[in-house]
Amino acid sequence: MKKSVLELSEVSKVFQKGRETVRAVDSVNLMVEEGELITFLGPSGCGKTTTLRMVAGFELPTGGHITIEGEDVTNTPVNKRGIGFVFQNYALFPHMSVFNNVAYGLKSRGEKDEDIKPKVIKALKLVGLENTENRYPSQLSGGEQQRVALARVIVMEPKLLLMDEPLSNLDAKLRLHMRTEIRKLQKKLGITCMYVTHDQSEALTMADRIVVMNKGKVEQIGTPFEIYSNPQSLFVADFIGHANIVRLEIAAIEDDFLVVAVPGGDSYRARALKPDKYQKTDSIYSVGKNAALIIRPENIKVEKTSSNPGRFPAQVVSSIFVGSHIEYELKLMNNTVIKASVPYLNGMEIYGEGSSVQVLFDESNSAFLPV
Amino acid sequence: MHGTMKRKSIAKTDPALFFALITVWLSFAVFIFLPLVRLLLTTFIVDGTVSLANMKKVLGTSYNIKALYGSLILATSVSIAGTFLGYLFALAVTRTNLPKVLKALLGGVTILPLISPPFTSSISLTLALGPNGMLLKAFGISDFSIYGFLGTWLSETLTYFPVAFMVIAAILNTMSATLDDAALSLGASRWRMFKTITIPLSMPGIGNSILLLFGASLADFATPLILGGHAFPVLPTEAYLMITGMFDLRGGATLSFLLLVPAMLVFFLQRMLLGKKSFVSVTGKNGARTEFAKLPTALTIFIALICSLVVVFILYLYAIILWGSFVKVWSVNNSFTLEHYRYVFRHGQKAISDTLLIAVLSTVIGSVLAVVIGYVAQRKQFVGKRFFEFSSLLNYALPGTVVGIAYIIAFNQRPILLTGTLSILVAAYVFRYYATGIRSVVASLEQIDPALEEASLSLGASSVRTFTHVTIPLIIPAVLAGMRYLFIHCMTAISATIFLVSVRWTLLTTRILESMTELQFSQACAFSMILIVIVFIADAIMLYLMKLSTSKFHKSQEISYEKVGA
Repeated sequence: MKKSVLELSEVSKVFQKGRETVRAVDSVNLMVEEGELITFLGPSGCGKTTTLRMVAGFELPTGGHITIEGEDVTNTPVNKRGIGFVFQNYALFPHMSVFNNVAYGLKSRGEKDEDIKPKVIKALKLVGLENTENRYPSQLSGGEQQRVALARVIVMEPKLLLMDEPLSNLDAKLRLHMRTEIRKLQKKLGITCMYVTHDQSEALTMADRIVVMNKGKVEQIGTPFEIYSNPQSLFVADFIGHANIVRLEIAAIEDDFLVVAVPGGDSYRARALKPDKYQKTDSIYSVGKNAALIIRPENIKVEKTSSNPGRFPAQVVSSIFVGSHIEYELKLMNNTVIKASVPYLNGMEIYGEGSSVQVLFDESNSAFLPV
Repeated sequence: MHGTMKRKSIAKTDPALFFALITVWLSFAVFIFLPLVRLLLTTFIVDGTVSLANMKKVLGTSYNIKALYGSLILATSVSIAGTFLGYLFALAVTRTNLPKVLKALLGGVTILPLISPPFTSSISLTLALGPNGMLLKAFGISDFSIYGFLGTWLSETLTYFPVAFMVIAAILNTMSATLDDAALSLGASRWRMFKTITIPLSMPGIGNSILLLFGASLADFATPLILGGHAFPVLPTEAYLMITGMFDLRGGATLSFLLLVPAMLVFFLQRMLLGKKSFVSVTGKNGARTEFAKLPTALTIFIALICSLVVVFILYLYAIILWGSFVKVWSVNNSFTLEHYRYVFRHGQKAISDTLLIAVLSTVIGSVLAVVIGYVAQRKQFVGKRFFEFSSLLNYALPGTVVGIAYIIAFNQRPILLTGTLSILVAAYVFRYYATGIRSVVASLEQIDPALEEASLSLGASSVRTFTHVTIPLIIPAVLAGMRYLFIHCMTAISATIFLVSVRWTLLTTRILESMTELQFSQACAFSMILIVIVFIADAIMLYLMKLSTSKFHKSQEISYEKVGA
C-alpha cells in the first residue's frame, strides 16, 4: 500500500453569521495517497473550497486535525506547510516577469541564483512555455497565465498540490485541453493533488477518486466509476449525470433486488443499493413503502409499443432533436416527469408532443436507493 | 460609420451637444482662458512689448528666490512626510488585525482635516506650540519657535496626509487578496510578502499621493501665512503680500507665474501616471473573496504606535480649538466665557450667511456644469475633445493663489467688471472645484454600459430624453458625491478667494484669517468651530441623500475620494 500524504480527521469549520451558526465544513474525514489526484466536487457553497483552503492553511479549522506526510499541520501557517496552490484567478504577480513569478518561491526558500535559473527554465518547458521568461502576465493569454501559475507551483516540488477551480476562467475548448494536460503532468511528476471543481465531467475525467460534498458534508468518496454507477445518495445520483429519480411503491423484496409496481403497467425489477451509512440497519426497504429508482437519461429507450413486462407507459411532454440525440421529456402515469436522451439513428421516428409511448429502463443500469 | 458621422456638422446631427459645447466653451473662454491670458500678459508685457523685465526684477530680489526655494522644499517635504503617514494609516486600516474600533477611529480622524478650513491645524499649533503655547508651558520649554519651516511643515503634513491615506487605501483595497495567498503559499514570510508584493503594487498610489500632496502644499497659502513668518517665505504668501501690502499687481502676477510652472508639471505628471494602466486590474475574476494577509507583527505594532500618536495629537489639536473658543484670553486668562460666540454671531453673521449663500450657489451651478462636461467628455465624440477635458480641469490644477490673482487682473476692468461682486466669488469656486464633480461623473459613467442609452434611443427616445430619464438617474449618486466635495471646498477654501472678497461679500475663512492676524485667537477658534459644525452638518445631510439615492438598481459603487480627486 502506498503511503498517505494527506489525512483529514473530523475537520470542521464553523462560523457565526449574525445569530446563525453556519457549518461550512462538517466533520470531513479523508486519506489521500501518494501520487493520487483527488477531486472535490459539489455545488457552490458546499464547503469544497473551504476544505481546500484549510488544507492550504489560508483558513484554520475550528475542529479536527490535518496531517501532511505524518506531521500534524492543523495550526501551521501556510508558508511552512510545503504545499503548492493554484488559484482560480491565477494570482500571478502582475509586476513581475514570468521568470520572477516562477522563481518567487525558490527565492523565498533562499536558493542560490545559479540553482534557480535551470529549475525555472525546466518548469516552464514542462508546461510548454519556453522563451516567455521576460514577458509579463498581462502580455499572456488566459491559458498561458494558467500554465505560468502551474509552473510556479511545480518548480517548488510541493508535497501536495492544491488547485481551486483552476480552469473555470478559461473558455470551453481550452478547458478540455488543459484538463488532459494537467492530468498528464500530474502523473508524470507523480504529484499528489487535490483539485476542487464544480464541473462533474472535469471531476470524472481527471480524478483517481472523487469526494462529493453537499452542505459541508461528504456525501460519497469513490472512484469515478463507483460514484457514477453506485451513487450512495439521491444527491450524488442527481448531481452526477443528472439521473432521474422516480419514487415507486415496493411490491416485493428479493435478496438484493426490489420489485415495484409500475403505474399504469406491470412490475419492474432492479438492484437495491445499500449505502454505507445504512450498513448496520437491517431493513432499509420494506414492502408497501416507497423506494427511489435511479435511472439516467441515456439508459432509457422510448418505443411506440412494447411487450416488455417492465415497460412504463408515458406521454411525451416535449421532444427536441439535437443532432446526435433526441431529448425527451416524458410524463409517467404517476405524473413524474423524466428526461430521456435517445441516440438518433437515421430514419428513426421522433415522437411528438402528446404521443403515448412505452418507456423502457435498462435494468442493469438502474438501481434503487432508499427514499 | 463614425467617419461619415463626423463629416456632417454637429449642429445638425446632435443639436443638443452643439448647444452644450458652445455654452461650455464660452464659459471656459471667460472664466478660464481670459484670466490666465491676462495674467501672462501682465507678467510678460511691459509698455506694450514682450519683456522679461518683471521676471528679472522679481528674481533679482534674494528674498523672492528664497521664497521659490522655500515653496519647493516645503512641498517636497510635505509630500514625502504626508504620503508616509498616509501609507501607515492605509496599512493600519486594510492590512492589520487591529480592533475595529481603532480602525474606525483612524478613518474618522482622517476626515476631520478634510472638512475643516485648511488652517485649522495652524491655529491650534500656534496655541499649543506658539508664544505662550500650552505644550511649551507644560514642558517648560522657553526657547522654541513654531514659526518657520518646521511649524509650516508639521501643520501641512497633518492637513494633507488624509488625502494620501484615501488615495493609497483605495489602491490597497483593490489589490487582489489572492496575491498575498499566492506569496505565502510559495513559502514567503510575511515580511517578504510585504516587501515584494504589497509595496510594489502600491507604488501607483504612492506616486499619485506624492504628486497630489506636492501640488496641495505648493498652493497652500493660509498655513505659511500663519506659521511661516518672515524667516520662511513661500511664493503664495509673498504674492499675496505683494498685492495686498504693496499693491504691486505686476510683481504678484510674476511671482504667481513662478508657482504656475511646477504646478503644471505636477498636473501633467499626474495625468501620465493615471493614464498608465495599473497593475491591479490585470488578473481575471476572483474566486472566493478572501481577506488580505496580515502584516508582520513587529510592523503592525510600529504602525499602530505611530497612528495612535498621530490620532491623539490631531484630537488634541481639535480639542484646543474647541477649548480656545470658550476661554477669555488663551493661556493668559483661561476662565470660561461665551463672549467670542456672541461676537461671532453679532459681527460675523454676514460672513456666515455670505459663505453659505456662495457655497450653495457654487455647488448647484458647479454640479450642473460638472454633469454636462462629464457626460460630454465621457460619452460623446467631437473635435478638440482632449483640449476640452484639459481646459475644464485647468483652474483646478493651478494653485489657488494664481487663480485669485488672475481673476482680479481680468475682472477689475470693463468689459467684464466683476471685482467686489458675488459672481466673481462663485465663478472662482465653480471653475476650480467642479473638477471633483466632473471626475466623479466620468468615473460613474465608465461603469454604466452605453448599451442602456442605446436601448433608450432604439425605443424612440430623443437624446435629451435619454439623458434626463436614463443617464441622470443612474449617475445621481456620483453627482451627489461630487456636490459633497464641491460644497466642502467652497466652505473651507481660501487661497483663490482671499483676493476676491470685499466689503460687500466676505467669507468665514477670511474672517478666521483676520482674527488670527489680529491675534484674536479665541475669536478665530469660535469662527472655526462654527465653520466646522456647518460643514459637518451639511456633509451628514449629503451623505444621507447619497444613501437615499443609491437605490437597489445601483451597483454598490463606492465613490472614493481618490476617484473624485483630491
